[in-house]
Order: sequence, then structure tokens, then C-alpha cells
Amino acid sequence: MARTLLGIDTGGTFTDFVLLREGRVTVFKTRSTPSDPSLASVEGIRALETPPDAEVVHGTTVATNALLQRRGARTAVVTTAGFEDLLQIGRQARSDLYALEYEAPVPLAPAELRLGVAERVGADGAPALALTEAEAERVAREVRKLGAEAVAVSLVFSFLRPEHERMLGDALARQDSLFVSLSSDVLPEFREYERTSTVTVNAYVGPVMDGYLRRLEEGAGRKVTIMQSSGGSAPVGLTRAHPVRTILSGPAGGVIGARMVAEAAGYREIMTLDMGGTSTDVSLCPGEAQMSTGHSVGGLPIGVPAIDIETVGAGGGSIARLDRGGALRVGPESAGADPGPACYGVGEEPTVTDANLVLGRMSPDDFLGGRAWLDVGRAQAAIDGLASAGRMSREEAAAGVVRVANAVMERAMRAVSLERGFDPRDFALVAFGGAGPQHACELAEALDIATVFVDRRPGVLSALGAAAGDTIRDYSRTVMARQADDASKVEDAFAALEALGKSELAAEGIDPASVRVEQRMDARYVGQSYELALERPEVEHANGLLAAVAEAFHAAHGRRFGYSNPNAPVEVVNARVRAVVAAEPLAFERRPRVEGAPQPRRTARAWFDGGWRETPVYAREDLAPGHAFEGPALVAQMDSTTVAPPGWAAEVDELENIILTRKEGR
Amino acid sequence: MAVTPVSLELWRNLLGSVADEMGVTLGRTAYSANMKERRDYSCAVFDAKGAMAAQAAHIPVHLGAMTASVRAALDHLGLNEGDVAILNDPYLGGTHLPDVSLIAPVFVDGELAGYVANRGHHADIGGMAPGSLPVATELVQEGVIIPPLLLIERGVMNDALMALICRNTRTPEERQGDFAAQLAAVRTGQRRLEALARRYGLAVVHEHMAALLDYAEALTRAALRAAPEGSYRFEDAMDDDGVSGEPKPIVCTARIADGYVTFDFTGTAQETEGCVNTPLAVTESAALYAVRCVVGGDMPQNDGVRRAVGVDAPSGSLVNANPPHAVSGGNVETSQRITDVLFGCLAQALPDRTPAASQGTMNNVLVGGRDPRTGRAFTYYETTAGGMGGGPSRAGAAAVHSHMTNTLNTPIEAMEFAFPLRLRRYAVRRDSGGRGRHPGGDGIVREVEFLSPAKLTVISERRESGPYGLAGGGPGAPGVNELRRADGKAERVPAKATLDVGPGDVFRVSTPGGGGWGAPE
Repeated sequence: MARTLLGIDTGGTFTDFVLLREGRVTVFKTRSTPSDPSLASVEGIRALETPPDAEVVHGTTVATNALLQRRGARTAVVTTAGFEDLLQIGRQARSDLYALEYEAPVPLAPAELRLGVAERVGADGAPALALTEAEAERVAREVRKLGAEAVAVSLVFSFLRPEHERMLGDALARQDSLFVSLSSDVLPEFREYERTSTVTVNAYVGPVMDGYLRRLEEGAGRKVTIMQSSGGSAPVGLTRAHPVRTILSGPAGGVIGARMVAEAAGYREIMTLDMGGTSTDVSLCPGEAQMSTGHSVGGLPIGVPAIDIETVGAGGGSIARLDRGGALRVGPESAGADPGPACYGVGEEPTVTDANLVLGRMSPDDFLGGRAWLDVGRAQAAIDGLASAGRMSREEAAAGVVRVANAVMERAMRAVSLERGFDPRDFALVAFGGAGPQHACELAEALDIATVFVDRRPGVLSALGAAAGDTIRDYSRTVMARQADDASKVEDAFAALEALGKSELAAEGIDPASVRVEQRMDARYVGQSYELALERPEVEHANGLLAAVAEAFHAAHGRRFGYSNPNAPVEVVNARVRAVVAAEPLAFERRPRVEGAPQPRRTARAWFDGGWRETPVYAREDLAPGHAFEGPALVAQMDSTTVAPPGWAAEVDELENIILTRKEGR
Repeated sequence: MAVTPVSLELWRNLLGSVADEMGVTLGRTAYSANMKERRDYSCAVFDAKGAMAAQAAHIPVHLGAMTASVRAALDHLGLNEGDVAILNDPYLGGTHLPDVSLIAPVFVDGELAGYVANRGHHADIGGMAPGSLPVATELVQEGVIIPPLLLIERGVMNDALMALICRNTRTPEERQGDFAAQLAAVRTGQRRLEALARRYGLAVVHEHMAALLDYAEALTRAALRAAPEGSYRFEDAMDDDGVSGEPKPIVCTARIADGYVTFDFTGTAQETEGCVNTPLAVTESAALYAVRCVVGGDMPQNDGVRRAVGVDAPSGSLVNANPPHAVSGGNVETSQRITDVLFGCLAQALPDRTPAASQGTMNNVLVGGRDPRTGRAFTYYETTAGGMGGGPSRAGAAAVHSHMTNTLNTPIEAMEFAFPLRLRRYAVRRDSGGRGRHPGGDGIVREVEFLSPAKLTVISERRESGPYGLAGGGPGAPGVNELRRADGKAERVPAKATLDVGPGDVFRVSTPGGGGWGAPE
């Protein structure tokens, strides 16, 4: 069955579209429409003459922006009495150790919208104080009286005994037009602050997302599915209930898209480098994208699973300056799209893009396919200011800006690999985003990575990842089962989560037979408070499960941290179930190899290793499978430049990817 | 490779990431809730002379004191390739006994590249009360004292020493897990620093460590030059030392001249019978922290700052105590008051930047006993946040840790899973912040119910007088400790106390609000 797929990715400046039809890829870009992002989406759907049976998958930052700009619903929060201030207290820590006057993040719900309810469940799951119907009704009326548009309910130990939250949920549901969100639905896991924060964010962005999805479906005249932070997509109905699962979806599509194109070319172990205008996202895929749950956005924890991505404040627009102590700093301040780097003609301050331009590492004439010229003179003037302040030559200053930006990105690359127990040398670096392919080879050298991979269309991998990813829904529950316990505690949770997943997906019209279920668990040594995620081990007898988990845990702990303690008891903290409807693998069009060498359009002077080098500039569209060339070389295309430094060899494969390989001794 | 603006920034990142990575390893592998969940640890990299070149930003009170640990290890042991030193002796490189430091040299082909060290707060290190922050009158009561010793000598682990230390604590297995994590962090730091030396050459490493120290010194001096020269005196007091019931004044005169500041503690109370004495290293930490705040920005934390800061603390005073005085509360409580006094001085020099006093205590609560669910011994340690002082530009933040600490709380659900305790209430303490144009932040009210017999220790401050206001602002509300027995009888608990509690008893700590800034409008 050849499906037609359309991926739509809304970015800050452009909305990208990728239409996949019978192995062919069609790309479309239009300006984003921030006041109602659905307008740009609908425009693209029409412009591409998307067939009515096409599956449309959309990556949106509507929920993320509502959260960051604090434009969400008036949200009430209901907690166990005595813990109304949980959201404000958080973990008691300050994010800036040395601020003379520390500014604490403002909770999404102010004190007057935080209500306590008389009830309590203990650590054993038994009610220490039972919730009464009358109390539930009182709270529901109170919420109504406060004029809340949304309400989050998060009671202590509700993951052990969700009945109290459900009673409140039923009472609240009887109030008109109120978006109700229960922590035992959204994140039934222990650690009350992170759970409460997550469910509050969910309620806060719920009504905004709901309105957006309605407008989008009406405008598009069809059903769409929505990209999730986990890198999969989910039907609109499920997204409406759990919009918090999209908050970190922005960079997720790129990781999935990168994984897909790399895998098609035979690269399964990859590190992704998505360098944009203000920041860079780095992620590691040892076969699969890695999940983590400890994220936060704007200082608020979000505990639902998201692709493990490190973001650092270094991008093409990052501003370079000398600080008072005489060190050259880059970012996190960014010139963004407005005023943009000095070479765009408005901004004055030197940026990473200006440095690349001064070094001849991007082509001033090919920017946006020749639609815009870059002003080399302005870039030089901006860099010269930095150079004279630091008593450096222009080239030293520009090369310094690139090196410092690389150092910031290198920290993120180390964080996703070495700090997680992986050796970066086992991975290929997949570079995308506007500036990724410019910096990738030098970053690869810093981590001793031998291969850099640049897709044919590095600017639209996010939309591609959205279009061609799996449908995914994640479920979890805290079980706290120790080795000595009966495995049924864990098995029951797995069974319940699987049943829930199948029924939720069935309600969205998905055939349960097409659903693949993956079981994982978070485990730790008893007494520890940090968990490691494990695949569910294969066991012959059900009662051997916890022993097998312990064995797998010792091994995983040893890999990750260099030691294990086989005598220490292990406990399973969370059971995790992922329901997956696998997408068909994409059949990308392969083109035959051609003989002969590619012809550069021209040569340019570019700065490498402390000197100017005559450097051929290839046009991306001139490169065909089989073409090979050596660095130094540049490959220019509409929204990106690939830099092959000296010591690197490039080859174009049958899928038109550029594979850059570091030569021996480099 | 000469030092340039570019290489300076590169090495700031490179050395910073060595310290950060040690911290990641320690935090992830630590066993106890205290280190893992509350992140009560610090990691740093030192140059070949033992000056701190980079530190991961974790806990301010560990800031200056790490250098003293390395210094003590070098003076007493020398350190050879393959050695790892251990110590917690407050009078030989430590701060208080629960903070145990590991120090190791990094050699590359037989040449010394530098040192790596880390320090973790152990939830129990023995002594007369669970949690090892007792209301003591001499050091030996506070736990096992570890002078600088080799835990690993030329690659060979001294298992006997490890066994002796762990056996002298209430939770030996947990200790072993935490020490394993500290060792893993040492190995991470050694591996990373060695890799840098191999890649760039030892000379380049040394050159840039020196340059980063100069860089931090230059930034510090520039910030101090921006303050008007002069002499600024301030005085505040500890409520008591847990024994005498008498306030203990802390007096400081800050002299700022030519990009240098001296903090002179002449006039401060003598060292005392109770547990609030501080070794000099803690006083230095407070001074470095205060100056670090004044410098602002994201300057790397290293010993370059120290070159612009002098501390004159009379030997035998509360802020430079001698053996055998008890110190457990010095690190957690006196350090906070010292900081209040330092900012009181600095506020006179920099009135438009300096906020009023924050809560000025960590409200240490320690509970030990046997968990009836498992039959095993447990120790639980928690510090509770309070109000921050209002400042010239904004109100003080509520319910947050301030100054010398920044540990996380133990989640309620984690606490109740792990210990026979139930939290009854955890809320902002309304109207506890000092009045002012920019009011002080509110403190916290936290009520813990005991589900089994246990021993409770409280080490707290600001129970007698509230944190001071500035520029006409009022003081924050003092803290209150109360116990309601299962039979309904309520009693005030002193600022520093150890007592037996039983099932159904509820301990309530109300933490101080911050001082207000500016006369109320």
C-alpha cells in the first residue's frame, strides 16, 4: 500500500512541508503565520494539492509558545490539603546561585487558584483519609466560582490509588466548559512536584491547543495527527487530552527525520546536530532515539517522555563579544531573525554567521537560492570590532568565534554521549538545520567522530520526520516492586497499561491488531533515587521476572556508571508501555551512480587551519551519486552550506546524501 | 598555544566540563537520597599547585573549602600517582564531619597535570545522633573523624580503612554506595583531565589553568574597584550555640581598597562550647560567595577570586575555631550568619545592589530510627527553605534556599516510600516576609508526622530575631519549631535540640521570612 504522507513543521520563521508520494519527495516552504499558525498550514496543504486520502502529520509549537509566553488558560490546581503551595515551592532550589536579587519563576496558577481537598493516601496505597462526595462537590463548585477555564488535579500518591482523583474529575466534569486534567491520567508516577507541574502545564495549554486543533481541522477539511515530544505522532483526540506531550516536539521531528534518512543510507548509530539561528539541538540514537523524562521548559518540569535532546544557546545568530576579563564569548544572546546577523544588513553585532561569512565558509550569493545577498563588508566590519578589542587579526577573531561556538556545541555532544556512557566514535554525525553542515566536520574532529552525514534536504528534516514517523503513545505507572515482591505487581501494571493503550487507540479508529506493544521499566537499587530505563527481559516463568530485571539492571548500571553492586537489592520503580503503530519504512528513490568528477561552479577563498585556501564551491544540485571530492570544499544550497575542511573526503551516495569521511591521521 | 581571548574561553569550557562531568557521575551514581535527590555535593579541578581552577556550581558552602581539602591532603600525605586521599577532619581540610572529601592527583606519563576532588554530604557519619549534626560539645561526639588518609595507595584500595569508616556509621551500606559514587567521580575527572593533557599537551593545560585564575582575579578586582573605597562595619548574632542559650555576636569590618577587600572579624564571639563553631575554611567560603555575588555574570568559580579577597579571622574565635570544638552547625548555620554580616557590610558600599537578609538558616532536621516495615535502621536529613530578602529592585523570593545552600528537597512521596514518616503540610508561610517597599519573601511551614519511635535532631537559627531589613524595611518573621505530641500536648522546641519522638507526634518547622527593603509605602 503506497500511502501519501504530508509532514508540516511550523517553525519560528518558516513553515516547512514535505510531501511523500511513491518514493518521491516534494518540498514546500512558506512564511509562518504566528497569529494563527493554522493559516500557513492550510496554505501549504492547498499549494501542494494534497490528495484527500493523504495522511497529514503536523509538528506544532502552539502549546510550547502558549507556555513560554504565558498565554494559557486561567488554570486552577487541586492538591491534597496542606500541599496547595507545592507548585510555588517546587524543589526549593534556585536556578541562579549567585544572583544578588534572585527572580523566582512565577507559578502557572497563583495562590488564589490553588485549592486543597480533604483526602490522603499513604505510601502503601491505602486511604489514610477517604475523600467524600460532598468534599469533591465542594471543590468543584469552588473551582467554578473562581472562574477557571481549566483545572489540574494532583493528589499525593494518586498513582497508587487514582480513585480520589477520579471522583474529583467526575465532579469537575459536571461543570460547563472546563478543561479537566488528572495527574493519574497524565503522569501516574511518583515525585509529586514534577507530576503536579506536568499536569498543570497540561491543563494550562489544553484550551489553547484545543482551539487551534479545531481551526486547523476545519481549515484543512481533514483529520490530522500531531507530532509528540516522543518523536511519534498521535491522533488529534489523544493530543487534545494530553497537549503537554507536544511541548518538546519542536526538535523531535528533526531527530526522527535524521534517523530515517541515515538508516535508509545504512547508518544506524547516529548523533544528530540540528544547528539553527539561536540554538543547537543534539541527540544520540544508538539504533533508536533515546527517551528521557527529566525535562523542563521555562523552569517548569515536564515529566512525560520526550526524546533526550541537549539544547545549547549557540546558533548561527549567536552574538560574539569580549567580556570584561578578556575572554571571547558566544551566545546565548542571539540576533535571531530580527535584526539578524550583521551580514543580513540590519544588525551591527558580530554573530557566528558573520564569522563563517568572513572566513569564506558560506557563499554570499547563494543564500536562500540567490533570493538574498549577504553583505560581506558588514560582516567584516562587525568582526573587525571584535578583533581590535581583542588585539587579534580579523581572521583570528572570526575563526575564534567559530571555535568558541563549537566548544559550546561540543559540550552538548559530550553530554548526550560520554556522560550517558556512549563512545561518540561509534556514531556518525548527522548534521542539519541551517548551520549544522557548516560546523559538523570540525565538531566531529573534536570528538574523534570519523563520519559526517548531510542529507539532500537538511532544512526540512523535521517535516520529513513528522510525515514518516510511527504513531506512538506512551503509558507509565509507578509500581515500586522490590525483588522479593510478587512479580504480579509489575505484570498487572503492564497488562492494565496495554489494555488502556489499545482501547484509546481503538477509540481513534486504529485497529488494535496493528498495535505493537513495547514494555520497559525504570529500575534502581533500593535506596537510590535515580532510575535507569530497561527493556523488559525475556523470562520463561513469570515469577522469574524480577530476578531477571535485577540481572539486567546490574549490567546496565555497570555500563552506564562503571560499577555495579550485585549484592544490592533492585526495585522496579515504573512500568512503561509504548503502543506503536509502525509506519512503513520509506522507500527513498535511489539514483544510479555517475562516473566522473563533479564540476565546481567556482572557487572561493576560505580560511582553514590558520590560512586562506582556494576552495571549490559546488552547487548541491550539480552533485550526483558517485561524485567524490576532497576538502577543502563548500557545497552551497538554498538554506545551508556544507563545509568539507582539509583532511576530509566527501562522497555522494545513491540517495544523494553527502558522506564526509575523515582521512587517517587527521 | 599562547593564551588568547579564544583559547581562554575554550579552556573555560574544557575545564568546566571536567568538573561538570564529575558532578554528573557523582549525582547519577550516588546511593543516598541526600546526595542523589538533594544533590548535596561539589566537584572541582585543581592546578598542579593545588589552586582550584574550575568548579561545578553546586553548593556555595563548598566553594572555598575545597581548596583547603586539597591543601591538607598535599601537606599531610603528598600524593603519588594512583593515590586517592580521603578526609573530613574540620581542622585538617574539612568543614564538618558529614562532608567527606576525596582528592586525587592526575598524572600524565609521570608528570603532574593537576588534582581532582569532590565532596559529598553523607546522611550519617556516626556520632551521638542520627544524621551526625548533633547538639554536641566536642568534635568527637559528632561522628567518625577522618584526618587526611590514603583510601587508595598507588592503586591499592585500603579496604580496612573503608570498613572502619563505614562500620562507624549507622547506615554502612548506603555509605559504601556513596563512596563508590565519589570514587567514580574521581575517576571521571582523572580520565577527562588526562585526555585534555594528552590532546593539547601538559604545558597548554598548565598555561590555561593559570590564565583562568588570572581571568577570574581580573573580573573580581574590576568589580571591587567599582565599589567606593572605605571601611564598612556590620554586626549580627547567632541565637545561641545550643548549650549556653546566649547570643553569639559576629562582627565584621570590610575594607575595600584598590580592587581588594579584606573581611576583618575582630570583635566576633569566642569559640564556644556548642556546635556552631566554624573552621576558617567555612568562613572563607562565605567570603568568596559574597564577593562572587557582587562580581555577577557567569565568571568561572576558581581560586583567582581568592587573590582579591582577604579574611582576617582571629584564631580561637567563633569564625576560626580550634580543636576540639564541635562544628556540625558551623557549616550549615554559622556560615549563613557570616554571609548575612558580609552582605550587611557590602550593603553600605553598594546600597543600590544589595538585598536585605534572607532566612539565614538551613533549618536542619534529622530523624533516625528503625523502619518497622523493614526492620532496618534509617537516617533522614532535610533542610527547609525560607524567605529571601527584598532588594533594591524587587521583592524577595519566597520558599527558596538562599546563600550558602541550594539543596533540593526530598519529594514527599520519595520520603514516605523510604522512611516511616508522613508529611502533613508543606506550605508557604504567609506574611512572614519583612515589610518594605520590596517586601521580604515568605518562609515555609512543614509538618512531619512520625510513624514509629525515632530520635529527632533540629539545628536551626533565627528563632530569636528575624532576618534584618534594609533601607527602612522591616525584619522577616523569626522561625518557630514546635512539637505536638500524639496526646495533643504541644511544646516549643529550641533552635537546637535532640529529642525522642513517637508514633503520632508531629513536628512543625516554620522557617523565617526574608527582610524587607525600603520603607513600606
